[in-house]
Amino acid sequence: MKLSATQVAARILEALEQGERIYTAVVTDAPDRSLIGRRWWLSGTHSRGTLGSPSLDEAVAAAVPSLFPPRESRGALSRDFDYRDGDRIRTARVYLELHGPPPRMVIVGAGHIAIPLARMGAMLGMRIEVLDDRPEFAAPDRFPDARAVRVIDFRDPFADTPLGPSDHVILVTRGHSFDYECLVRLLRMPAPPAYIGMIGSRRRVRATHEQLAREGFSTAEMKRVRAPVGLDLGGQTPAEIAVSVVAEVILFHAGGTGVPLVEKERVVERFFGDASVRTGPVESATEAPEPETGPAGPAAPTQPATED
Amino acid sequence: MDEKELLACLARLEEPAVLATIVSAKGSTPRKTGARMLIGRDGVIAGTVGGGCGEGEVIQAAQDLFEGASPTTVRVDLTDDFTTWSPAVCGGIMNVFIERANPESFGEGG
Repeated sequence: MKLSATQVAARILEALEQGERIYTAVVTDAPDRSLIGRRWWLSGTHSRGTLGSPSLDEAVAAAVPSLFPPRESRGALSRDFDYRDGDRIRTARVYLELHGPPPRMVIVGAGHIAIPLARMGAMLGMRIEVLDDRPEFAAPDRFPDARAVRVIDFRDPFADTPLGPSDHVILVTRGHSFDYECLVRLLRMPAPPAYIGMIGSRRRVRATHEQLAREGFSTAEMKRVRAPVGLDLGGQTPAEIAVSVVAEVILFHAGGTGVPLVEKERVVERFFGDASVRTGPVESATEAPEPETGPAGPAAPTQPATED
Repeated sequence: MDEKELLACLARLEEPAVLATIVSAKGSTPRKTGARMLIGRDGVIAGTVGGGCGEGEVIQAAQDLFEGASPTTVRVDLTDDFTTWSPAVCGGIMNVFIERANPESFGEGG
């Protein structure tokens, strides 16, 4: 029986409900056109459907774990796969998706920065958990967006919070001795969270690292910690700091540069140069380096590229 | 409508519908790979693959599937669109796979 898109959608929703990871595939192009539209899914050791050739199913099943990094919970891409058709090797184009439980952000320290951080993390679709040893701070009514708010003991901060490589942990505790206790636990995990961020001044971050070094952690291990956490936006308030942290989380997943787009694209400098007159379309296929024109002042009006 | 809502809509479909999915995209496209749209005989049911930017082509091509055409990939080239000064910011190329979402509801030879 051929699986339809509708049936696979129902299965994806079921997997998400149960917190499972599921890969789906559909053939979008193949020399044998009867394969186009055939679909298949894989979740754990269970699979259903076929891409129309057992050899193609095998090739795709073998490739999916490496196509989607374990820390990602969502992915979509197309790839060509070789498969056996009688004595011939043929190639089919397959569109693949990964659906997994939403990424989790564990915020340790339920102080004033945790509040906007929890809200913004939830806006990004993350599952938020907040931990603190002070019951008056680790109070669910302070964190309406959090799925869990736990009172912990810093001697074993993650006792009730099992963590894995797809998780994000942000340390915003009230003292570097607490950060330190958390970091030791995190770095000693067999599969530490991919994203470990710690807030703090240079002095505080240095003190924590000195303690880690004394404990025998290597610099490679110390570098796993993003500290100070966040992008350099210059903000000061809790909300501004939270923006800087979630911005780094987005950067971590989306792989941007973190620089202002106006500086990255430099549209005015590249296409309008020094002259105020537009000299026809610029086909810069090679993206040749252009002369630096210094900081673009606000006093350089450029004509919009329209024909009115 | 977020992705989960669209999946729920897809899973619950009763009328015949065509599913359009961006299976690859290059350059500046309004929606990225993985974006979906559901198209009924009378037009879009849910979702979007990019609004004004090339979506019309996809909806047009989807109509053929109601007439029995096979699933196919529509290549949408948005690189010329900027001259039209469209409100949507375009400038890329995307491949949109269109197929019958629920072939069983199309009836015999549908």
